[in-house]
Amino acid sequence: MVEWRDINYRRFGLQAAFWSVMLVLLLMILSNFVNLSNTNQLSAYDDDWNDMSAFRQDIKDMGVETRSLVSSPLLLADIEDPRNTTYVVAGVERDTLSLPQFDDDGFITIASDDGYSPSEIEAIVTFVENGGTAIILEDYGFAGTIAEAFGVRYNGYQLFDTTYVPELNFNYVWMCVQTTPCSMNGSQIDTDSLSTHERWADTSSALSAHPCAIADGQVVSLEDSGVCSHHWADGEIAYNGTYRVLLNNITALELIPNSDNPLPELAIRAVTSNEASIDVNGDGKLVVSAVQSEETPDLYGRFNLTVEACAKSTCNPDDGGRVFFVADGSPLINAIYDYSGFAEGEYGPTDTEIPANDNRKWALDIIAEAMMTSIQEDGLEPSENAMVIFDESRHPQNAVLADSYNTIYFLLVYFTGEGLAMLVLFLILFISFEAVLIRKKDPDNWRHVFSIIYYGFGDANRYPYYSKVEKIRQVFLSKVRNQNGLTREEFHAMSARELVALINDPTLAKFAIEPSKYSLEQTVSIVKRVKAWGRR
Amino acid sequence: MWTRKAAFTFTGGIALILIGMMISNNQMMILGLALIAFIVVNSWISGHGDVEVQRTLSADNLYKGDDLYVELLITNRSNRKTQLLEVYDNIPHEMKLRSGLNQMRLNLSPGESARIRYVLRCPLRGHYSIGPVSLRSRNTFNLGVEEMFVDHHSDIVIFPQIKEVEEAFLRSRTPKMYTGATTLRTPGQGSEFYSLREYVPGDPFKNINWKAYARTGELMVNEKCRDAVTDLYLLIDSRDIARIGTVLKNPLEMSTVSAASLAAFFLKRRDSVALGIYGEKLSYLPPDTGDKQYFKILSALAGVSAKGEMPLQAVTNSLSGRFSRGSPVFVISSCEGDGTVPAAVRDLVGRGHEVTVLSPSSIDFERLVSRIPRMSYEVLKLERQNRLTTLAGSGAQVIDWMPDMDLSQALMQVRGY
Repeated sequence: MVEWRDINYRRFGLQAAFWSVMLVLLLMILSNFVNLSNTNQLSAYDDDWNDMSAFRQDIKDMGVETRSLVSSPLLLADIEDPRNTTYVVAGVERDTLSLPQFDDDGFITIASDDGYSPSEIEAIVTFVENGGTAIILEDYGFAGTIAEAFGVRYNGYQLFDTTYVPELNFNYVWMCVQTTPCSMNGSQIDTDSLSTHERWADTSSALSAHPCAIADGQVVSLEDSGVCSHHWADGEIAYNGTYRVLLNNITALELIPNSDNPLPELAIRAVTSNEASIDVNGDGKLVVSAVQSEETPDLYGRFNLTVEACAKSTCNPDDGGRVFFVADGSPLINAIYDYSGFAEGEYGPTDTEIPANDNRKWALDIIAEAMMTSIQEDGLEPSENAMVIFDESRHPQNAVLADSYNTIYFLLVYFTGEGLAMLVLFLILFISFEAVLIRKKDPDNWRHVFSIIYYGFGDANRYPYYSKVEKIRQVFLSKVRNQNGLTREEFHAMSARELVALINDPTLAKFAIEPSKYSLEQTVSIVKRVKAWGRR
Repeated sequence: MWTRKAAFTFTGGIALILIGMMISNNQMMILGLALIAFIVVNSWISGHGDVEVQRTLSADNLYKGDDLYVELLITNRSNRKTQLLEVYDNIPHEMKLRSGLNQMRLNLSPGESARIRYVLRCPLRGHYSIGPVSLRSRNTFNLGVEEMFVDHHSDIVIFPQIKEVEEAFLRSRTPKMYTGATTLRTPGQGSEFYSLREYVPGDPFKNINWKAYARTGELMVNEKCRDAVTDLYLLIDSRDIARIGTVLKNPLEMSTVSAASLAAFFLKRRDSVALGIYGEKLSYLPPDTGDKQYFKILSALAGVSAKGEMPLQAVTNSLSGRFSRGSPVFVISSCEGDGTVPAAVRDLVGRGHEVTVLSPSSIDFERLVSRIPRMSYEVLKLERQNRLTTLAGSGAQVIDWMPDMDLSQALMQVRGY
């Protein structure tokens, strides 16, 4: 039985402290990644009023494959057919993991507060340069770095416009996709101020016009209407180039002058009215004037709401990649996109009535233009490899441990996609191999070892003592006493003269009686004489 | 447990997958996956160690230096093959493998058996245990190893060697050693008639005196006189200091050999022999005759180890009252580091015992393992000589036993003191 005193309290305490710290660390990490609350939004894979399931379903109904990207946009580098792929970023809700990486100058940097790391931005730019289409729907979030890579900047302040929906509130703003601002007539958009999409509706240029606009009036069945099925009516394609897109909680877009833009053709596709204002200081009050000052910090005027960046002025997907920037993250949420379904309670009970809008038409037209096959014989069908990728990597997931899974997946992609991480991974692999080589041993071969040669036992400390003169004298006197059969008492009672007579050897007698110093040679000689003494 | 090969394969597989991901090379990733899959699949076809083991020894008791024949029978009792199974019989490292091997690699089919035979030499006395049997099963490509053991032990006792003691050497001062002591007139096992008594159930029929039965009409049995000439007491010094020297040559080993030889000699003569071993504590076997006593003595001597610092005086104080009067006492001790030896011997002599001190020369044993300076050695020898002279002066017969001297030769010195 173990005695209490045998327990090593110090070791026990150290162990307990170590495991406690480990547990606390683990809980802290888990608390960061396990998200049981249902706070996610703008996910194409969820069907709440603020998710985008209706949009995804429409794309699928078009015959276009949809995918989610849960780890990192670094995977865009592996897309085999970027021309027929559309990448959708809607409302980035969280930052990337800040991990070290190489920057453009080749130095090691830690990306922070940018939403996307430089490597991810580079992957998106490469994807677009290779002919991909990207839709960036963002307001105040973390997608600013993507826009900046293309010479566009999200203003980041809330924008207010006179073209809002009075039945709802001033956060719901109409965006007319046209070069001139539209205006309100009472609570409705003034139809006289509406015009058409500058590029899509201009059928005079076949390269830049929307394919559905070109097919306008074409008599087809609904099954054959392909990517233009949302324009199909009464047995033909009835394209309408007017777009009234309803936005919610918007900001403004700015063009960055003299930027090194991989897509040189930037076109503003939608603007606010001339009476729009921006709450720069965020105090909820709009104090504006012609010049921005301390007294009038807010801005006033016309602002950009949609910018289209293309490789060529035609913005034809066959001519290169394109990016659509919209100053709002929510135009495709179910409540606005599928307003009728929302009103019918498909996304939960509601009292809010969202006005009819062209969000669906506008969004599907972007997809239709990007996905439509360039093969004439295929008509209006999407191309064979058509695919829409929703970036879910920046949306928190409400499934248990889904975020942890995403994080691990992100790390895997990071370590196999980012230069510095790959270098580190190579080092880790190398060290792992070395560790296996050095540490991993096969079990020893069994072999019987006969071993009985153990260390001899002796007391070497006493040897010097036995070479001392005093000890030699003591041994000699014992020998004299024993040899003559004397008891200790008798021997001690003897006089010196009697002892000398008993010894009968002048040298030994002198040694026995007169203590004096002896050299080593003399001592050896004495020992020899002592040994020989008594044999006579 | 994975082998090194498996660890390499696994690490290589992971590396190939990751590098394949880095450079977008599907072939490399598939190769990596294949390596990992190979390990996984291979782990399913592992062997097993579900075998029955039986060990047979040629003897349970041996004398030091004898050979022990061991046979191990391994039988696969399960319904599947063992795959590559390594069997290793754990033997004490004090035993030397003389022939054969104590291990084998097998692949036994269900119900199949195999035998391992080997011979051990036992150069050291003691109580030993052979076993357990270690098993190591490997899977087909030697990627995984599993170790287990069968808890099967065989105990064996190695007795001290018995040296021939010639009677002539023990005849020192009297024509026949210890004949001065009278025959013990007590009933017991023997050949000489002691008395006649009534039959009690359990008495052997051969002891019934039929003439007396015919005469008296009652069953009478002959009782024999105990055949012992005398009681001999052996006192063995097993103090810590008795291990001076090497494992094969030290005062304690010499003492056990001499005690076993003397016991064998005297028991053969139908004397009674008692054994006292003192070191850390005193263990005492009362005097008795016969094979059983012989076995007890040898077993006790087999298990002696050098420990403790008990003085001889404490032993004699404790035991001398139980010694038969006038019986001879053999003290087997180096007499080193025990100042009470002269007093103890004097006490025994004073009680009428004929005391013989058989003293292995510890200084010379120490010299086997330690470089003693010449002068110190000479002085130590002189001191030892003085000690033995004192003992001789006390009335004991003293034998100075050098390491390279036979027991018979040493016993001849009895006359010298």
